Amino acid sequence: MSGGFALFLFTLAAAFEWGEFMGWVNVPLIFVSLGIVGVGLLVWWRQDWSYGVDGKESMHLWEPKSTGTPFQNIDIRKVALWVFLMSEMMVFTSLFSTYMRYRLGIPNCKTVFNSGDWVEGTAVNCFEPASHLIASSWFHLAPGAINTFALIISSFTIVQALRYAKMKDIDENVRRKKVTRYLGTTWFLAVLFLTLKMIEWFLGFPLPEFMHEFNHGDSTIKSLYAEGYLINADHYQHHYYDTHYLESHGGMDQDTALYAMMQEGTHPGGHMMANIQVSATTFYVTTGTHGAHVFGGIVGLTYMTLKAARGGYTPDNAVSIEYFGLYWHFVDLVWVLVFPFFYLY
Amino acid sequence: MAGRRPKIVVLALVAIAAMLAVPSAQSLPGGISGVQQSGCNCHGAVPSDSVVASIQGLPDSYNYSESYELTVSFQGGPSQEGNSNQGGFHLWASDGSLSVNDATAQLYNENEAGHTEAGNDQTSWTLTWTAPTTDKNVEFVLHVNSVNGNEDGAGGGSSGDMWSKVAVSLSGPIEVLEAADPFVVLGVLIIVSATLLAITLAYVFYRKDPDAFDWDNFAPWLADWLTSTDHKKIGTLYFVAGLFFLGVGGIMAMIIRIQLAVPGNDFLTQEQYNQFFTLHGTTMIFLAAMPMINGFANWMIPLQLGAKDLALPRINAMSFWLQPFAALLIFTGVFSGHGADTGWTGYAPYVVSEGAHHGTTMWAAGQILLVASSTLTGINFLTTMAVMRAPGMGWMQMPLFSWSILVANVMLFLSIPAFGVGLIQVYLDRVVGTAFYDIAAGGDPLLWSHLFWYFGHPEVYVVVVPSFGIISEVIATSSRRSVFGYRSMVYAMAGIGIVAFIVYGHHMFTSGMSPTLRFVTMLTTMLVAVPTGIKVFNWLMTMHGGSLVYRTHTLWALGFLVTFTLGGISGMFFPSIAMDTHLHESYFVVAHFHYVLVGGTVFGFFAGIYYWWPKATGKMLSEKLGVLHFLTAFISYNALFWPMHRLGVWGMTRRHHTYFVTTEEALGSLPMEAAGWNMFITVSGFLFFFSNFILVFNMISSSIRGENAPDDPWGGWSFEWMTSSPPPAHTLYKLDDGTWGIPTLKDANEHIANEPGIIGRWFQRLLVSDEDTGEVAH
Amino acid sequence: MSVMTPIFETLWDHYILWSVVVGGIAFGWLYHHSFWFTSKDGEKLPNVDDLAVGVFPKHNDDMRLEVAWTVIPFILIVWLTYYSWAPLDAVWTSTEGGVHGYECEEGKFSNNVMDSNGIITSDCYHVIEITGQQWFWSFDCLELETTLCDTGTETMEVYGSVPVLSLKKGETYLAVMESIDVTHAPWFQHLGTKEDTLPGQQTTLWLPISDSMTEESMVLCAEYCGDAHSIMAAKLVAHN
Repeated sequence: MSGGFALFLFTLAAAFEWGEFMGWVNVPLIFVSLGIVGVGLLVWWRQDWSYGVDGKESMHLWEPKSTGTPFQNIDIRKVALWVFLMSEMMVFTSLFSTYMRYRLGIPNCKTVFNSGDWVEGTAVNCFEPASHLIASSWFHLAPGAINTFALIISSFTIVQALRYAKMKDIDENVRRKKVTRYLGTTWFLAVLFLTLKMIEWFLGFPLPEFMHEFNHGDSTIKSLYAEGYLINADHYQHHYYDTHYLESHGGMDQDTALYAMMQEGTHPGGHMMANIQVSATTFYVTTGTHGAHVFGGIVGLTYMTLKAARGGYTPDNAVSIEYFGLYWHFVDLVWVLVFPFFYLY
Repeated sequence: MAGRRPKIVVLALVAIAAMLAVPSAQSLPGGISGVQQSGCNCHGAVPSDSVVASIQGLPDSYNYSESYELTVSFQGGPSQEGNSNQGGFHLWASDGSLSVNDATAQLYNENEAGHTEAGNDQTSWTLTWTAPTTDKNVEFVLHVNSVNGNEDGAGGGSSGDMWSKVAVSLSGPIEVLEAADPFVVLGVLIIVSATLLAITLAYVFYRKDPDAFDWDNFAPWLADWLTSTDHKKIGTLYFVAGLFFLGVGGIMAMIIRIQLAVPGNDFLTQEQYNQFFTLHGTTMIFLAAMPMINGFANWMIPLQLGAKDLALPRINAMSFWLQPFAALLIFTGVFSGHGADTGWTGYAPYVVSEGAHHGTTMWAAGQILLVASSTLTGINFLTTMAVMRAPGMGWMQMPLFSWSILVANVMLFLSIPAFGVGLIQVYLDRVVGTAFYDIAAGGDPLLWSHLFWYFGHPEVYVVVVPSFGIISEVIATSSRRSVFGYRSMVYAMAGIGIVAFIVYGHHMFTSGMSPTLRFVTMLTTMLVAVPTGIKVFNWLMTMHGGSLVYRTHTLWALGFLVTFTLGGISGMFFPSIAMDTHLHESYFVVAHFHYVLVGGTVFGFFAGIYYWWPKATGKMLSEKLGVLHFLTAFISYNALFWPMHRLGVWGMTRRHHTYFVTTEEALGSLPMEAAGWNMFITVSGFLFFFSNFILVFNMISSSIRGENAPDDPWGGWSFEWMTSSPPPAHTLYKLDDGTWGIPTLKDANEHIANEPGIIGRWFQRLLVSDEDTGEVAH
Repeated sequence: MSVMTPIFETLWDHYILWSVVVGGIAFGWLYHHSFWFTSKDGEKLPNVDDLAVGVFPKHNDDMRLEVAWTVIPFILIVWLTYYSWAPLDAVWTSTEGGVHGYECEEGKFSNNVMDSNGIITSDCYHVIEITGQQWFWSFDCLELETTLCDTGTETMEVYGSVPVLSLKKGETYLAVMESIDVTHAPWFQHLGTKEDTLPGQQTTLWLPISDSMTEESMVLCAEYCGDAHSIMAAKLVAHN
């Protein structure tokens, strides 16, 4: 597995250099490296499978418990997972502080626009939070909101899976079905999360006829990609910062310095160009890191659902679902923080 | 089961072969051996393709002492007729002598010529070069600058200019072999060491059972080592890897010292030197010190706690195997000739600029893997110590080495994610083009400084605190006493661990901090000396009333006390900011941190090696060789690093590939004595490097024909001495009734162990334990 | 030969004094105990703390001693911090009414004086600009007269062509600094001071040129900046 990860980073770097794609020839190696990671993972899982799935009793189903105070009688791996979550918290803290530093240190694009401190044709450095685009209408916010509920519900379903796995006096078939179903639902919700995220980022989606009028007459909800909110966007232009558009679509805000300057004739107006690379970078990398953690969860869930389908979870080893549940709750919690800070604020 | 192992070996070999077959991340040729001097200080970091420089008039091969008329010129770039200036040049010839023909060019010395003010409005110049009188390979490097004539522009008119360079080699009547490229030297030495290591391992295997020396026996033996999750095997793997990279780092240090032995040396070019000091730092900290700590920890923590293994054995294996692969990534940069040249601190924005070599991306990638490895290790050890202590061992009955590893690992896994995030940001900036540190887009270089030093400062304590633990064990056992002030030792280590996180600002005193923050950092940095001082005094007091038994590990512990104290005292000069403004980035810093890192950490390692070798291998090391090792290493070490304090105060700057002393003719930056001291340091360095081979020899000869070691050769009390030397494959301990099992710790004090204190009880109330079981499980 | 400025030297001497005291105590103690409390090989050793395998040994502590060597170093450190405070204040004094006053108006001079500790105070200061880039320094005297501040270049035997900054003795200058590309730091060796130049941000550095300042000294780059970091030099000339 280690070799696979190393090769992955290496080949990824080979494929790109300074943000420019260097050609398809380097790409197959990326897949080779991911394949090696997968093989390592399969070996790991094969070991786990032999612990009591398909009726195999080859190894004693025993979950090691701790002896030391103050953690007596708690499963060792549970303690390990809490410690791991502490370190993961540091990861997200670092990403959040990067975001905060830049968000507070770089002037907001709206402020810059309204102050009139720009010239058409010259890109100005400013911070455009993603929320400006996403929170602008309910439709834009829909994927994000659905995602939030999806994750919250998935946290619930994983707890249910655990409950049924641990339950004593129930029929084994019933247990198997219930656990599989709940794990499967969790898996589905996680995949839904990532799918909606991709739609939000890259694809956009069309609206049915009757909703057009609520969306200023537009027939589609544009993705962030289509709006130009990209990592390499150093001449980003949007109709929010276009005085002609604003004038023809309901007038400009008269409280601003820009408006006053345009009335006086000291500012020609026009379409402001901005360098929003930093804003896009912090947004995509932070939400992307969270998405990567969701993806990791999906990989784990795939294995767990398969194992549950074969009746692999009994009260003796149900606690391994709890380990995953802890991780999953953490992922959910991070999202509950990411969503307002990046999507709403 | 048996069939699985060869498959894994094959897979591993395929993976390695695949990696070797893949071209390096960049496919530039080996490149020119570099510019000797930039001379006219070229404008901007990156040469331009649109400017083409050329030298005409050179023969195919020169004749001795003959003169040639050269025309140096350029085409392209923004230069035009009618500009106020059109361009300039700088020509350097490694041998022979240059002379000028007219006032449009001037001679700096017989090897360098450039344009004059009168001659900066043309695109070609003529010069005369006289060939040397003996056979040499002559290098010509021509830098040209195509000027756009905007005198009032930024940077004194240099914005918008484009420069380029060309290099030509010329040989005399007889072709002379080139001087060795330092990278070739390094590469050869690394390959030789790796081969020697492989041969040694094969030899050790052979000596175990000469009759069974064939592939059928070797393959399972090797496969076992590659796939084992046993903490003892993994500990050995870590240790051997760490020792190997300690040697590699040492080789790099020697090459650096050769370059610095005399002023104005040209053994290494600037670009090469920059890569060497970067890699020396990264290798020593991440590939040598951390693995060796993990080696000791993997071996000794389960043994000291009375546990069977670590909490997460498979993850432990993964933590180890990430390291060699990370090393491969980091070193790909080196072998391509374009290794990372950012310093181990990798400051932004240089680290994401195009000026930094391609190997920097791989350097960042390798370190990301190391961050993952360290995080997993931290989790593993913290969990193990929290939950797998033997009955009778409460928190305050753990041996001090275990405490030191605990504190170190807590610091590690809380601080290293910040570094990981920073590295990912750098990696993404370089690969995908994100804008974390892109100044033009508003990026902030200080963000990297904060993320890095938030990790970097706890990291250096992570590296030194385990040595504290080893020294505690060694001094206590050697004095035949228990450590003085056990509880305050624990609190001191914990205190160091906490304070470490808030003092990282002291690496950024000259980076434009606000004055209030500087004062706070100054005070807290000074305060770190208090717990450290407590520890030193406690160690000294441990010897009081004891009966010190002199063995090699005792000597190393005492040596540690001397050098670490000196290093700590020299560190106290930096928080006084009016001194820091002078000493920052000087050799005083180099002296300080080598005193605490080598004199502290590495000496601690040496003490640990001589202390625990019998336990781990079942053989004793030779005391005579040990004493010889100590004397030669300790003396040469001090000769090596002590003079650096003085050099720093004189003004010798870090990370400079060379330095110049003031002579009668010219003003340099250092006084004349500095040259002599640098030579002295270089020679001491070689002595120190070679003295450590005594230890290697000691280890090899002990493995082959050392005397067998008893269970408890030194009289220690902790659990590792309660098992055989070496411990059995599945760790178990010799109990009082003669059976093997998990021991229970008795306490000579009247103290009820294993009852949680106030904090423990509060914590337990917060946690939810399983409803059904109430007993302690074994 | 010493490049120590008086302020540095005062602090240095004081710190060395305490280092010798602390080091002397520690090493003397070490030396004494290493010889006094030894045992002979083969001798039956007394087991003061009941050392036995598998038994946590008797605690060996003394509360009074431990408190003593916690409190005394703490006091020493507070003293050293206090002692360093005044120099700190001088090195990073405010640009509005600190030890160097306010910016000089036209025709006024700093007339700086150095006290017995090496701390320099001035009536006012002059502003100049320093720009760092790969791989050379640029000095800008702004609107100061040539007698106060002058720039030029010189060819040095080892560095090639270096920029020269010529400042007047007895005057104090505030260098406002920025970098064009990566971080650099000018180290004014005989002033014992340096500060990073950052891209996209401005930093400041006080350059108090006293009457006893050396005539010619080097300015080296002290923040790693790439290939030609080692020879990114400049010369500071202190003229009358």
